[in-house]
Amino acid sequence: MNYVALVGEQKRQVELTELEDGKFRVVIDGRELFVDARAVADTTLSLMIDGQVYNIESELDPAGHGENFSIRGEVVNVEVLDLRSMQLRQAKTLTGGVDGPAEIAAPMPGKIVAILVEEGQQVEEGQGLVVVEAMKMENELKSPRAGVVKNLTAQKDATVESGLVLCVIE
Amino acid sequence: MGKPSRRINKVLIANRGEIAVRVARTLREMDIVPVAVYSDVDRIAPHVRACYEAYPIGPAPAPQSYLRGDAVIEAAKKAGADAIHPGYGFLSENAAFVEAVEAAGLIFIGPSANAMRVMGSKTAARNKMKAAGVPCVPGSEGAIDNVEEVKKVADQMGYPVVLKASAGGGGKGMRLVHDVSEMDSAFRSARSEAKNAFGDDTVYIEKAIINPHHVEIQVFGGNDGKAVWLGERECSMQRRHQKVIEETPSLAINEEVRCKMGEVACRAAEAVNYVGAGTIEFLTDSDMNFYFLEMNTRLQVEHPVTELCCGVDLVEGQVRVAQGEPLPWKQEDIVRTGHAIEVRLYAEDPSKNFMPAPGHIDELILPHGPGIRVDCGVASGYDVPQHYDPMIAKMCAWAEDRDGARRRLIRALSETAVKGITTNRLFLRRLLELNEFVAGKYHTGSIAEMMAAGDAAPSDEILDAGVIAAAVNRYRRDSRSTRREPQSQSSSGTLWRSHGWRRGGRA
Repeated sequence: MNYVALVGEQKRQVELTELEDGKFRVVIDGRELFVDARAVADTTLSLMIDGQVYNIESELDPAGHGENFSIRGEVVNVEVLDLRSMQLRQAKTLTGGVDGPAEIAAPMPGKIVAILVEEGQQVEEGQGLVVVEAMKMENELKSPRAGVVKNLTAQKDATVESGLVLCVIE
Repeated sequence: MGKPSRRINKVLIANRGEIAVRVARTLREMDIVPVAVYSDVDRIAPHVRACYEAYPIGPAPAPQSYLRGDAVIEAAKKAGADAIHPGYGFLSENAAFVEAVEAAGLIFIGPSANAMRVMGSKTAARNKMKAAGVPCVPGSEGAIDNVEEVKKVADQMGYPVVLKASAGGGGKGMRLVHDVSEMDSAFRSARSEAKNAFGDDTVYIEKAIINPHHVEIQVFGGNDGKAVWLGERECSMQRRHQKVIEETPSLAINEEVRCKMGEVACRAAEAVNYVGAGTIEFLTDSDMNFYFLEMNTRLQVEHPVTELCCGVDLVEGQVRVAQGEPLPWKQEDIVRTGHAIEVRLYAEDPSKNFMPAPGHIDELILPHGPGIRVDCGVASGYDVPQHYDPMIAKMCAWAEDRDGARRRLIRALSETAVKGITTNRLFLRRLLELNEFVAGKYHTGSIAEMMAAGDAAPSDEILDAGVIAAAVNRYRRDSRSTRREPQSQSSSGTLWRSHGWRRGGRA
């Protein structure tokens, strides 16, 4: 299989061939490696590459970007795409605008403790919009740019899930 | 003063999380029945499972459950408990609660309501300490309830200033204010945070000492009015006034200053007939001058480092003194050995301004091995609720010297994995590797300086291993889903990214 691996800002071409159960030939950007990969559990992998042992604990990135791998005390985030979805993503980025309405979403599950603006209000970049409280800490959501507050659906004392859009800055 | 002798057989723990688990452990070792209380979202929380009895006390928000003294006392009566251990936070420094507990015929494991009232109110404590000749940081002599007054006092003292919750501790309700333009918002949020955390929105103001060390002395008072001290804890690795790393001994003071601070701390505790475990916090400057900051009239979050170096169980001591026994230790019995460091593991995202990150823990892997102690309040399969403090575990390492403890703790953090939620684990590791920390030359502003400096990338070897692991996982998922559901859209990545896969896939 051919994949593209996104590691931070970098992009790696990966070619993976299963030789026999658990044994792989991997080519990363033209470098050939032979890997013995055993799944210890669903999210625990033991890799051997040229005598080096890597115990790898993985999780789906809670922020939704691929997986996080804990390796020798470091954490590497990797998102693997096949070639077609890579092309799709690139096409999307090219057509997507940067000046569209900015959605202000709850960054975490919590409770709305204050609404600092009104529908239709003109706001400056960095101006506080809504205050969300979780785990006894208050977080003021600020406007990413100057604009007008629209679709202000946030309600004081309401409990919100992560990702819920609270208002839009147009 | 002095408490009636009465054998304690059953103790209700009026708390949750790692501290409730920790107290339950000592109680079980003492053949005392531990009783838990829990809110609606905590039914399967580790602290409930660490106890032999448990009673529900209300809905998730703390003011409707863990802060409700009446519900806690009612549960204690129902359980037939002899005593209540408050842990830290919640009701632990609420003098009215202490009185209500005693009025109900129960023992409060902690100081008297009077000692708590004097020392718990920062302003009253300052006055007491001044009268005893202990140096204090300049500040308002009382609580301030309007923003105009705060601005006036701050102008007189000169910025920067610190707003603090009168009932507070642990950085909650605390704000550093650099100039007058920040005051309105700081005053509002400090009061609101104080109200939520302690049920009391009173704040006061102090002059900020820039880049100080935060050194605190563990004291322990007996029923005879005498106190001992058990070394100090250095708590200067802080982020926004939240302690992140604590260690003992402190490199910021020498033995002579240490002993002077210990004696002053004992005098302070004895002045209010303090019984049980308490902490006198000092700020020290670069010339080893120390200023009384506040007294925490409770067991402290970071008490394990003291236990590791002194070889004592402070909770056991609390229970013994509460049932009328003499102090378990004489001052000359307290021998400090080696070095201990604690880090606080938080469910928060350092890359997003340390935003709290509650959620479901798919799997929790904790470290083991020589010199490691973990006090943990979460478990695999547990939903970390959004309603409480984001600290989920404390990890401590002891070794004969400081660098040994530091390396041990880094090793332990590398073994740790909390899958499903974001934590500050890597951030803690970076702190332990920070040059200033390695050299022991840090202060309360060091973390902010490090944050500004940015991150180092993992080595190519580690990146390769990560890429291979990701590709192997992807390959296995693709072949599995092709077998199971030929129409799968998994190539877009959405299937395996959803929570449905994450939990459903375990079935």
